[in-house]
Amino acid sequence: MNLFNNAVDRWLGRGDASIAMPPMDGAFRPNDLLDSAPAIVETPAPDCLAVTSQGLVVSSQRSLLSVDKPGGAPLAAFDVEISALAGLPDGGAAVGLIDGRIVFVGGEHGGKTIEASPEVRCVTALASAQGGALLVANGSASNGPGAWKRDLMEKNASGSVWRIDPASRAHTQLAGNLAYPYGVLEEAASVVVAESWRSALTRISPGASGRGEPVLENLPAYPSRLSRGADNAIWLALFAPRRQLVEFVLREDRYRRRMIGEVEADYWIAPSLRAGRTPLAPTQQGGVTQFGLLKPWSPSWSYGLVARLDAAYRPNASLHSRANGRRHGVTSCLSLDGRLYFCAKGDGVVASHAYEGLAS
Amino acid sequence: MTVAPQSETPLLAMRNVTKEYRGVAALKNIDFDLRRGEVHALLGENGAGKSTLVKILSGAVAPTQGELSLEGQRIQIGGPADARRYGIAMVYQETSLVPSLSVAQNLYLGDEKFFNRLRGTYIEAQQLFQSLNFPVDPTAIVQSLGTAKRQMVEIARAVRLAAKIIIFDEPTATLTPEEKHYLFALIDRLRKDQVSIIFISHALEEALEISDRITILRDGAHVVTGDAKTFSRETIVRHMVGRSLSDELYGRAADGRTVRPPGEKILSVQNLSMQNVVRNTSFSIFAGQITGVFGLVGSGRTETAKIIAGVTKRDFFHGGEVRLEGSPVRYRTPRDAVGDGVVYVTEDRKSEGLFETMSVAENIYVGQISSAESRGVMTSMSEMRELAASWTKKINVKTLNSDARVIELSGGNQQKVVIAKALVQKPKLVIFDEPTRGVDVGAIAEIHNLIATLADDGLAVIVISSYLPEILSLSDRILVSRQGRIVEELSPGEATSESVMFAAVY
Repeated sequence: MNLFNNAVDRWLGRGDASIAMPPMDGAFRPNDLLDSAPAIVETPAPDCLAVTSQGLVVSSQRSLLSVDKPGGAPLAAFDVEISALAGLPDGGAAVGLIDGRIVFVGGEHGGKTIEASPEVRCVTALASAQGGALLVANGSASNGPGAWKRDLMEKNASGSVWRIDPASRAHTQLAGNLAYPYGVLEEAASVVVAESWRSALTRISPGASGRGEPVLENLPAYPSRLSRGADNAIWLALFAPRRQLVEFVLREDRYRRRMIGEVEADYWIAPSLRAGRTPLAPTQQGGVTQFGLLKPWSPSWSYGLVARLDAAYRPNASLHSRANGRRHGVTSCLSLDGRLYFCAKGDGVVASHAYEGLAS
Repeated sequence: MTVAPQSETPLLAMRNVTKEYRGVAALKNIDFDLRRGEVHALLGENGAGKSTLVKILSGAVAPTQGELSLEGQRIQIGGPADARRYGIAMVYQETSLVPSLSVAQNLYLGDEKFFNRLRGTYIEAQQLFQSLNFPVDPTAIVQSLGTAKRQMVEIARAVRLAAKIIIFDEPTATLTPEEKHYLFALIDRLRKDQVSIIFISHALEEALEISDRITILRDGAHVVTGDAKTFSRETIVRHMVGRSLSDELYGRAADGRTVRPPGEKILSVQNLSMQNVVRNTSFSIFAGQITGVFGLVGSGRTETAKIIAGVTKRDFFHGGEVRLEGSPVRYRTPRDAVGDGVVYVTEDRKSEGLFETMSVAENIYVGQISSAESRGVMTSMSEMRELAASWTKKINVKTLNSDARVIELSGGNQQKVVIAKALVQKPKLVIFDEPTRGVDVGAIAEIHNLIATLADDGLAVIVISSYLPEILSLSDRILVSRQGRIVEELSPGEATSESVMFAAVY
């Protein structure tokens, strides 16, 4: 019966086969706030922000840079690219590398390295947890952090979340079969994970069997890192928009297989951290300007979006960089001293915006 | 654009024309001239009086006062037959053809010969269509035709009657761009043949493109008439909405009231489509808020609401998704929707909202019967009376008793009964479609208060209205619909008549 229903749904474009996108309205109503934020550091592919004893730092390719110092002074460099970063309560930082290693810089565990294991090879997000532990989001069992587009196009749900004790290097799996966990945030008795390919936030409670409990679903973009502000607001970076054409391609298995096999990843019909820069890319960003704003009829595959959530994970405000903006591909954000800092990886900018009075 | 030749005496002149419905003026001292061979655009918001004006010309209603003259001769149009006799024809947006008759039969409707020879009728009709270059089969049954072809039949009927004046009411609302192009070419030909045309449209670009002169009405009064060349979209919109009186009456949303913050997302409409009326529209509705939906007639507001409430169905293939509290829903009947707490208060209370000859109590009880709490076929007279007594008191329905028939009530009280019938179903989401249409000023205030109370109580409320001040004063959030799609979201603080209207027409 299920097979029959699936076939009917596929034919009629209903149910799981529906390619309807959630609207960007209400708290997600577009604005230009990300574009109006003054840039602090311009550096290639800034990826993740964290607060350490050195102040606010950002990872950019193989380096850790200071955001507080003019021009982004380098603080540390690694032999491979950084894929995740977390500030630790002792002032140090945990740095996830693209090859799966986790390196501690400064603080109690400074200099320690946790080698990649077969289970944790795609470190996409890190967060400090109670008892000095580290929460690790392992995006995919088969692809590295640099191959996120492939992971989406392969429709994988092989990610996992781990609790690692830096002292003993003991790994404990909290949840598996996650659709690219790309953000992780500890709560009092549970962990909330941003599952990118499900466009949802999922709560994982210890001891709960099976899948976690959804706390926010049907997001209009793919979520990534989460952070909690001093006012208890939760900030969520969303790194690329969901589009009907991409969802359609995700449904068309044969087409997708051929595309993955025969076309370079940069030219896939897939979301992107920054799109529209090459004429070789498939048609996008056509549109008309109304009220001085570009309204795309062939929407761009990159976008800039940060959402503020209340304590119950309900979105209540957002900052955007629209199709014609210059702050696309936001992979990380955090609030500090009344300002929201974010890194637009697609456009190579770290910027900040005062969030007092942000429209709800 | 061809400018029509000027002539001393206008073909048609209206002087001091006023039309009142039960003492309320729909048209106030209108002066209107139509020159020979000109295309005259008649513009205004919904309720500005355009329809009343053309209804007077087509003989559907008689003016309360004022005079009409044709070619300098004073005339009285007592009915549609008189209008036809004077050479005035009307092409309606929703065509007035009989769907079960053939095209040719429709062409000659009301003008049949005593011995009617069908073959001869077909031949004449075919000749007429050929002369107009319309690709319409005279033997086709009208209900099998698309909208554009139905309009061609309407136009052919006007031409056959040798009309001197043809009134087009929103002729392009349902046409494709190509069909629109053909229509404009035809209008141009008619103009060259010295036929005068009154063209009503909400699409301002079309009015500017096709017309020689433009007249703008507002709140039943004449605002301005001038050469189309002297207008721009901006000036037209300003003339259409500049209504200080209405702003004073209703106030602005941002003035002195707290805008309700959004609660839980109750409804998420995603890429909803229904033919070419609702086109890939997406929006969300939140609890504890009034979401105002503004749009011009034909912008797909009502149709979208009806799909949500299960009154009509979305496209069978790839019609999009409606999620109620996160779960996809697809209602086959309104009763299914009511069961889930979604109710729709119709814009057309007479035909869709009430049983006019039944009592107030019976009407309210009908709502209860169709609710989730209904006990099926089991009904109770005492329950009905209690329910009616409680609701008539709660929403202040002015009636002698609950046994009074609805037809005996005023428009405002009838509307309150429709609302009571909906609220008795204990909804989570209430969709009000034109809640104060045809309602007196006192009842408008009461209905507005009731709507505000519902939102204060945490219900999600959608108010669809063509009346801008109503939207501005009631809404915590304003969505603007254009061409079957929500195109803009505005907060009450930033919404002005101009900004909402611009979003609706651009």
